Amino acid sequence: MFLFLLRSAPLLVLSGVAAAAGSIDGEVEQQPLNTTAIVMFLLFVVMTLLITWRAAKTTTSSAAFYNAGGKITGLQNGAAIAGDFMSAASFLGITGLIFVGGFDGMILSLGAFAAWPLLMFMFAKRVRNLGSFTFVDVVSQRLARGQIRIVASIGTIAVVIMYLIAQMVGAGKLIQLLFGLPYEVAVITVSALVLAYVAFGGMLATTWVQIIKATLLLTGVTLIAILILARTGFSFNELLSLAVEKHPKGEAILSPGVVFKDPVQIATIQVSMLFGTLGLPHILMRLFTVPDMRQAQLSAFYASLFMGYFYLMLLVLGFGTVAFIYGNPEYFDADGKLIGGINMAAIHIASAMGGDILTGFMSAVSFATILAVVAGLTVSGAAAISHDLYAQVIKQGEPDPKTELRITRIAVFVIGLVAVVLGIAFENENVAFIAVMPMVTAASVTFPILLLSMFWSGLTTRGATYGAIAGFLSSLLLIVLGPQVWVSVIGNEQPLFPYDYPGLFTMPFAFAVIWLVSVTDRSARGEIDRANYHSLLVRSEFGEKAAGEGAVG
Amino acid sequence: MTDPRLAYVQRKTRRRLAFSAVHLVLYFSFSLNWSSWGEPLSHRLGVTQVTGSLLMFILLVLIFIGMEFLFLQMESKETQE
Repeated sequence: MFLFLLRSAPLLVLSGVAAAAGSIDGEVEQQPLNTTAIVMFLLFVVMTLLITWRAAKTTTSSAAFYNAGGKITGLQNGAAIAGDFMSAASFLGITGLIFVGGFDGMILSLGAFAAWPLLMFMFAKRVRNLGSFTFVDVVSQRLARGQIRIVASIGTIAVVIMYLIAQMVGAGKLIQLLFGLPYEVAVITVSALVLAYVAFGGMLATTWVQIIKATLLLTGVTLIAILILARTGFSFNELLSLAVEKHPKGEAILSPGVVFKDPVQIATIQVSMLFGTLGLPHILMRLFTVPDMRQAQLSAFYASLFMGYFYLMLLVLGFGTVAFIYGNPEYFDADGKLIGGINMAAIHIASAMGGDILTGFMSAVSFATILAVVAGLTVSGAAAISHDLYAQVIKQGEPDPKTELRITRIAVFVIGLVAVVLGIAFENENVAFIAVMPMVTAASVTFPILLLSMFWSGLTTRGATYGAIAGFLSSLLLIVLGPQVWVSVIGNEQPLFPYDYPGLFTMPFAFAVIWLVSVTDRSARGEIDRANYHSLLVRSEFGEKAAGEGAVG
Repeated sequence: MTDPRLAYVQRKTRRRLAFSAVHLVLYFSFSLNWSSWGEPLSHRLGVTQVTGSLLMFILLVLIFIGMEFLFLQMESKETQE
């Protein structure tokens, strides 16, 4: 049995590592129809649609659509960021990985958590002060507006589409697992609900969907953790003892090495998760929903608190699955496989601790997590099209407001349609590499441009453009040559590049190209870009707007 | 460089970078667990089942939150002044 579980670990690792992408990959088995879960999920849907209906009354302009009028508080925004990021893959994937590999699952928890402190130290205040609706606003402040907006918007759309595919395929598989509904029904339901939230309620409805989801998820994991600890006399040490006793690897699960052996592999995961998260456009966009820079910093702080708590609870849940699921024939089939696959370990522990009600609740919450993440992605993708490309590039910053709002809503519908089509098209494909792509791309394309635009005076438009292209192409190349495409998709025996996550190599490469091209750039535009830096630096700290809508270049 | 506001911003930038550098060192030190240098961390602490590796994970989460709190307090104090 354990060998089977361990063989499944790489797929689980990918879905866990792609926690931000929310992918549920690998083998899934459709379960019997879960009526309790469906009823609870319908309650969530009714509640969120009511909120959307109210939000629709205030979403009458593009600005309200993009940033909810900038009226979200730091606490609310922190909860929404947590709701946006704590995906079903975090909950199911990381718990499942601890179930299989014990301590090794912690690397995914730390990777998913560690980006938030860095967001506060480096980005929160400055991004909020320099931008209006998207991170592209920030990078276009000192660089040639048209060119850098096109490059950064394409990067945003690429990340959003890849992330969306992973989400939709994950949604289809997850709903098969948890609700016993067919794949296509799940994909269409997710898309239809997200269209309703986003097209009518914009960022305001999306924010509340994310807040509710975060609250439900944290409530659920807290309940399960309490029930687990209650069985061990509220002793974490006793829980670990029980886990060691039940797991085939015994004491080894308390230390590294059951699933991962190579420290370089660990570093590739760490780099991709940390810097990838910091470059995710839909996460950065949340910083513009608060009224000022102080609230932006508080957003990052509260997001850290919620997520730190969540990942510490997963420690209890993970070892709880080991202690109470291993050896219980109720959760294994005749072949010794965990019923529903390893992703179901978290749901089984809910069942073991709280019966049908808690299982139904956690299943409904898992579905809700997908809606919250897809809603955030859809807002971000729509803003890249209508604000960054249409309003700022095509209309040179002077769009007709009604036309812009109309285009925003059309973009939402197009993204929804694309999500359904690609979700169904990729149903039987190995999507693990698609789950890898957004994090690596964000780490190698959007993160370097954003960081250097705010912290390096030597950056030029030409350097940023070449660096973005280099980051994207190198990410694509190394993922194709790596195990996920070269072996799993193409069918070769050995990969030409050994790691799933090439961010450790592609991100420094992108930085190197940006630096080299920028320092050798003798163009007139390059001089302007450099000269703009100091005024941008002051504005980023004091929150003043530059003349002409805040743009310098 | 004569602009006092610019000097102020540069000081704050150095603080940002210092916090970030400490954060990155701590974060990447977690990978030591998978190397021979981190071998001592795999031992259990006293008679408990908690290993140095597990304790390191919990401490890192708490330290990061503590660093954020400290950073926020410094920013807040400076704003008031």
